Amino acid sequence: MLKWYERVDSGRPGIISSRVRLVRNWNQYAFPSRLSQKESLEMLHRLELGLQNLNSLDGKHYEYQYLGDISELDKKAMQERRVFNATIASKKTPAGLFLSEEEDTAIVLNGTDHIRLQMLSAGLHLEELWARCDQMDDYINARFPYAFDKKYGYLTSFPTNVGTGMRASVVLHLPTLSMGKKFNGLVAEMGRFGASVRGVYGEGSENYGALYEISNQKTLGLTEKEILDLVNRVALQLLAQERQVRRMALEKHRLEYTDEAYKSYGVLKYARRLSAKDAMVFLSQIMSGIVDGILATEGDCAVYRMMLGIQPANLQKISERPLSKEELDEARAAYIREKLPELV
Amino acid sequence: MLCERCKIREANIQYTEVINGVKTEHHFCTQCAKEMDFGPYAAIFDSEFPLGKLLSGLLGVGEEQEEKKAHQVICPACKTSYEEFIKNSRFGCPECYGVFDLLIAENIKQLQGSDTHKGKQPKYHYNETGASFSVEDVARAGEDTPGGELDREEQIRLLDARLHEAIAREEYEVAAKCRDKIRELREEIGKC
Repeated sequence: MLKWYERVDSGRPGIISSRVRLVRNWNQYAFPSRLSQKESLEMLHRLELGLQNLNSLDGKHYEYQYLGDISELDKKAMQERRVFNATIASKKTPAGLFLSEEEDTAIVLNGTDHIRLQMLSAGLHLEELWARCDQMDDYINARFPYAFDKKYGYLTSFPTNVGTGMRASVVLHLPTLSMGKKFNGLVAEMGRFGASVRGVYGEGSENYGALYEISNQKTLGLTEKEILDLVNRVALQLLAQERQVRRMALEKHRLEYTDEAYKSYGVLKYARRLSAKDAMVFLSQIMSGIVDGILATEGDCAVYRMMLGIQPANLQKISERPLSKEELDEARAAYIREKLPELV
Repeated sequence: MLCERCKIREANIQYTEVINGVKTEHHFCTQCAKEMDFGPYAAIFDSEFPLGKLLSGLLGVGEEQEEKKAHQVICPACKTSYEEFIKNSRFGCPECYGVFDLLIAENIKQLQGSDTHKGKQPKYHYNETGASFSVEDVARAGEDTPGGELDREEQIRLLDARLHEAIAREEYEVAAKCRDKIRELREEIGKC
């Protein structure tokens, strides 16, 4: 079965993926940082038992893993594929993970909170993801009473998640807009609306690949619907601006852009060594070339999948051994040569 | 504008200093700002800066007297002290919210722009009297969620927890209801 990131959603070019995450806590236990080893294990076991029939809810195939049983490399690779964040990947105390076969639904148990439910999809589908999260949230809640306060809402370890416990986010490809002088001002302005914009693979001009994640800053005092609307609105607004500046740039410099797209394709197609930076920059050019209608490939070209695939832990997993920097560059070039479809 | 310290990178941090009423403005890049000493605000320039740490910055600055008093507040349920909460920007358990409410309300409002939840409410196991859930709740839990029905073992487990809670609260009527329902469920299992 295809993983969520292997699907290409060409409905809205420039929108890579959507994510909705909820955090919840069971009212019978203290938060994870205050649980003893014994209490953590007991709670994990009870949560695992209670959720073992998750597939009856959505028909997906789920696998449960104790986080301590997953190798460090696999954890790092999962972090690169956005199954969970760095904090959870490096967690040493007991934690568990329910993961769907497509990797689009992940429930981390006893991470920074008791329950961290996350759904991902390609393209812009926040409402759908929320509807599914909402339903699964009820399913979990039917089994485990939540820590909830009339005033503060769902109670969480960190005051930054309290209330709805919800983070909605969208990843956008903004190659032209992010090069502009006004981009930092634009990001600050989005902040005033309550949306944060952050480079997925680094900050500022170091964010090779030009992927940006838009998410809600606040979790309290807004309804879930208001949060979704905010993130949706800001994402579409940025995308509209990207298209506008792109169109203007294309009108003026069509030949340069066409040249860049084909050169990038040529390098990726034939290079024998690729640094992480170069690979991201060229893949970003391919992404733009397809959106601009300059490049057309045989079948879908899953550029984002390649961007995830060329991260170090995923490359080492494919090679089944630790790789030096030079070997990584070689493996990266080989990976892209294999995955890059032919031009038509 | 270029950073006034290194004069190489673009300045993206504006630092306003007010000393004896004299205001001076400085512009630095993130890297230089990180290298300089901004006391409790230094954490802001760390790349993996969690928004929550800002709260500890805000809460921890000045107000020494108030702080001394506040240090003695300890959550009876999980033993997290207010000082620990400030240090880690992290609560120890659900009870902490109630215990530290007066001390943190303003800061949560500052951090979140609001102090009142407007979103979803738990569908099950929550009522405003404070009891975790009602006996009827358990019986109907999951009914209207596809695949959500609780199996009897799970219902018994939840009811058993509720029974103990009811006894502790001296709600004997509720306890009796739990006991009857558990008995009923056990008989059903026996019949199967």
